Amino acid sequence: MTAGQRALPARAALGVAPAWQRAVTDHRHILFAVLSVFVFITVVYPLLQVAGRSVIVDGALSLANYAQVFALRRNWIAVWNSVWVSLVATVLATAIGVVSAFLVQRTDIPAKTLFRVLLVAPFAIPPLFSAMGWVQLAGPVGLLSQAWQGITGEFEVPWNIYGASGVVFVLAVTKYPFVFITVASALQRMDPSLEEAARTAGVPTWRIMRDITLPLVRPAVSSGALLAFVASIDNFGIPAVLGMRAQFYVLTTRIYEALTIPNMPLATAMSMLLVALAIVSMIGLRRAEGGADKYAVIAGKAVTPAVLKLGSWRPAVVIGLALAVLLITVLPLFALVLTSITTFWGADLVWANLTLEHYVSALTIPAARRGILNSLFLAAAAGVILVLTTSLISYLTVKARYRAASWLDIAGIVPFALPGSVIGVAMILAWSNPPIGPTLYGTIWILLIAYIMRYMAFGLQTTRATLQQIHVSLEEAALTSGAGRLRVLKDITLPLLRPGMVAAWVLIFISAFNELTVSVLIWTTGAETIGVWIFIMQDSGFSGRASALAVLTLPVILVLYLLMQWLTRLEERRAGRSKG
Amino acid sequence: MGVVRVERLAKSFGKVVAVDGVSFEIAEREFFSLLGPSGCGKTTTLRCVAGLETADAGTIEIAGRPVYRADAGLDVPPNERDIGMVFQSYAVWPHMTVFDNIAYPLRIRKIPQAGIAGRVAHVLRILGMTGLEERRPSQLSGGQQQRVALGRALALAPSVLLLDEPLSNLDAKLREQMRAELKLIQRETGLPILYVTHDQTEALAMSDRIAVMCEGRIHHLAPPEEIYRRPATAFVLDFIGSVNYLPCRLAGADDSSVTLLWREEAAITLPRPPHLPPGPDVLLAARPESWRFAAGSAGLPGTVVLRSFHGAGFEYRVRLGETEIRVMTPNDVRVSEGEAVRIVVSEGLLLEPDALSRPEARAA
Repeated sequence: MTAGQRALPARAALGVAPAWQRAVTDHRHILFAVLSVFVFITVVYPLLQVAGRSVIVDGALSLANYAQVFALRRNWIAVWNSVWVSLVATVLATAIGVVSAFLVQRTDIPAKTLFRVLLVAPFAIPPLFSAMGWVQLAGPVGLLSQAWQGITGEFEVPWNIYGASGVVFVLAVTKYPFVFITVASALQRMDPSLEEAARTAGVPTWRIMRDITLPLVRPAVSSGALLAFVASIDNFGIPAVLGMRAQFYVLTTRIYEALTIPNMPLATAMSMLLVALAIVSMIGLRRAEGGADKYAVIAGKAVTPAVLKLGSWRPAVVIGLALAVLLITVLPLFALVLTSITTFWGADLVWANLTLEHYVSALTIPAARRGILNSLFLAAAAGVILVLTTSLISYLTVKARYRAASWLDIAGIVPFALPGSVIGVAMILAWSNPPIGPTLYGTIWILLIAYIMRYMAFGLQTTRATLQQIHVSLEEAALTSGAGRLRVLKDITLPLLRPGMVAAWVLIFISAFNELTVSVLIWTTGAETIGVWIFIMQDSGFSGRASALAVLTLPVILVLYLLMQWLTRLEERRAGRSKG
Repeated sequence: MGVVRVERLAKSFGKVVAVDGVSFEIAEREFFSLLGPSGCGKTTTLRCVAGLETADAGTIEIAGRPVYRADAGLDVPPNERDIGMVFQSYAVWPHMTVFDNIAYPLRIRKIPQAGIAGRVAHVLRILGMTGLEERRPSQLSGGQQQRVALGRALALAPSVLLLDEPLSNLDAKLREQMRAELKLIQRETGLPILYVTHDQTEALAMSDRIAVMCEGRIHHLAPPEEIYRRPATAFVLDFIGSVNYLPCRLAGADDSSVTLLWREEAAITLPRPPHLPPGPDVLLAARPESWRFAAGSAGLPGTVVLRSFHGAGFEYRVRLGETEIRVMTPNDVRVSEGEAVRIVVSEGLLLEPDALSRPEARAA
C-alpha cells in the first residue's frame, strides 16, 4: 500500500486522473470519513455535552453549577474522600503489588504460574463482587467475624468493613494487580547484564536486588501505582456497597445519588471535577512513563534473570504468600458461593441451611434474566464493533500512513482516562434529547454506545501494537511475490492481525460484561445489565440472590480470563521466536 | 542487452539524496553486487528496481520491458515486475508453513495444484530442505528461514533475483556456507542476481561484477579482482580490503617504474601505477600483503610494535616514523615485538596527499 501511495505523484504529474476522482476512489479517504463520524458520535459529541452543559445555566455561561457543588458540605467531602481514599488504597496496593511481583519473578518460590494466575485474577473479577464477598467475610455476621468471635470469645471485631476503612482495604486488594502486572513485566524484561555487572563486582544477591533491581523498576512501580489510583477514583461498586450504608460518600457514589434525585446540573459539574482529577493523574502517569524512557533498561527479549534464593525463609514466605492469595482472591469468591447456597446470610453451616432457592428466585425475576442476556449481547456487540473499527483506525495510522487519522487515535484514547461516572453523565446528556437522531436514553443502545466509548482505547492500543509488530517486509515480500494490494491485506496483514483482534475482543468483552460505574447511571427498565441488577439486589438487602447471580456470571468471566491469559502467552512465545 | 537496465536513477528522501544518477546493466546469468557502507544508496537502488520505492528520475528495464520511466510517468507495481526478492529480515510469513510460503507466488499466478506441488518439491530439493514442507517458520533455524525466503523468491523462476543483505543475520560459519550455496544455486538456476551488501568479503567472493557505491553514486564498476587491485577512487581503495598509507616524495618515473623517497633518504622503487599525481608530494597506498621484511640494509627502517596471529599467517604492526605499516607474512616468518626491522614494498598506488579527505579522488 505504501508503494501505491508513493506512486501517486508520478501519475498526478501526468494528469492520469483528476485529483477529485482520485480522492473519491482512494479507499483511505472514504474509510477516514466514516470512522470520523463514528468517533464523533461515540466520543466527541458526548464529551462536548458534559463540558458545555457544566458551564451553561438557562442558556447563559455561568459557574452556578460549580457553586452548587461547593455550597453543600457533603459534596466537597465527597471530593476530598475520593482523593484520600484512592491515595491510601494506592499506597497499600503498591506495596502488595511490588512485593508479590518480586516474589513471583525473582525468588525461588514454587508454583510460580499458579501464583501468577491467582495474583492477577482480581483484575478480571468485578469489584462489586469483591465488595460483596468482603461484606460476607468481614461484615457483622461474616465468616471471618464469626471466626474471630469464636477464637477470642469477644463480640466486637477489631475492624469495620463498612465505611472508609473497608473501602480503602477492598480497593487496595482489588487494584494491586495493576502494580503487579507492570512491575512483574519490567522485572522480567530487565537487561540481566545490569545485575550481572554487580554480581561480577562481588555484590551479594540481596544487595543487588535492593541497590540495582528495585531502583531500576521504579518507573514501572509509579506507572502501575497511577493506574491503580485512576482505577480507584473511577470505582463505584466498592464505595457503593461498603460506603453508602455508613454515609461515607465518594464522588462516584455522590454522582449516583445526585442522579437518583435527579439533579442533573450538579451531577454534570461534579463530573467535570472528576475529569480534573483524571487529568492530574494522567499527567503524573505521563511523567512516570517518561522516566521509564530515560532509564531504558528494558531489553526487548525474554531473559532468564537472577533468582534470589530464599533459603531457610522459603517455607515461611511461601506459606505467607499462599495465605495472602487465599485471603485476597479465593476467600471472597468462596464467601459469595456460600452466601448463594445458604438460606440466609450468617446462617450456620449445616445441611438444613443449604438451598438453591436464591438461584431460583433470582432467575424468576424477568429483569434479572434480561440483565444477563443484555450484558452478554452488549459485551459481545461492543467487542465486535470496537475490534472492527479500531482495526481500521490502526490500519490507517500504522499501515496506510494516513496523517489525519491520528486525531481518531487521540480522541479514542481520551475516554480511557475518564472516570466512568463522567461517561455515564455524558451519555444521559447526549442521548436524552439529541438535536438529531432518536432518543437512545431508555434503550439498551445507550449502554452499547457507552461501552464503545469507554473501551475504545483497549481496541486501539491492542490493534495498533499488533499492526506495528507486522514488519513491513512481510507485506513487501507478498508484493514482490506478485500479490496485489488487496491480496496482501487478505493473505498477510489480516491473518497476522487476527490474534490481536481476538485478544482485544476478549479484553473488551470482560470489561464491558463487568461494567458497573457507567451502567448504574444509565440503565432503565428493559435496559438492565447483570451488574446493575446484582448491585440493586445487594443494595436492597437480598444478598443471597445477588450472590447467586454473581456466581452464575463468574464462569463466563473466568473462562474468558483464562482464554486471555492463554492468548497473551501465545503471543509472547511467537514474538520471542520470530525475533531469533 | 542486459536483463536489468538501470539508467540515471535518482531518488531523494526530503533533502537527503539517496541515489544520485546511478546506471548499470546486469547480463544473463550474472551475479551483480551493489557494495557500499550503510547509507550509500545501495538498498534504495535495489528497492527502486523492485518497485518498493518510486524513484524521482531515470529509467529501469527488466527483461527488455520498461518498468519505470520518470519521463513517461510509468511505474509498474512490484507485483507485476516479474522479480524474486529476498529481504534482510527474511520476511518469512509466520502464519504459513514452509510449503505455503514457497507456493504463495505460484498460487498468486493461479498455477494448477499439481504444478505447484512439483515446483515446490523441486525448489526444496535445490535448497536441501526436502521433508520440512509442513514446518512453521518458528520451528526453523535462522539458516533454514533464509532458505525458505530464497525458495519463495526462486519459485516462479523470475527474470531477476533481488537480494537485500540476505546473509547479514547469519553467524559467521553459516554465512560462509550459504555464500557457496547461493553461488551453486545460481549456477543451477541460471538466474541473474542483483545482490546488495556492505560486506566486501562477501561481494568479492561471490560477484561477477561489483558496483561500489558511496553517497548515492557508483565509484567503481568492475570485476572483483580489478576492484581490489586497481580501485578507481580513494574511497574504493580505502573501503575494500586493508591498506597502508605512507607520505612520500615522487623522485622519478619512467615507463615501467617509479622511484619514491621517504624522509628524503630511503628510496622505494615500484612498478609504475596507472595514475601519477601531478605534484611531487604523494601518498603511497599499499596492501599489507605487498609489504615484506627485507634482509640486509635494503628497505625502510622501523620497529615491530605488535604481532598478531591470523591463522594463515602473522600480521605485524611496524612503526615507521610517525606512521604505522601493517605487514602480512606467511607463518614461517618470525620477528619479535620490539625488534628493529627493514621493510620493502612490491606494489602500490599513488594518491595526492589530501586524497583521503576527498572520497572521489582518483586512485588508479
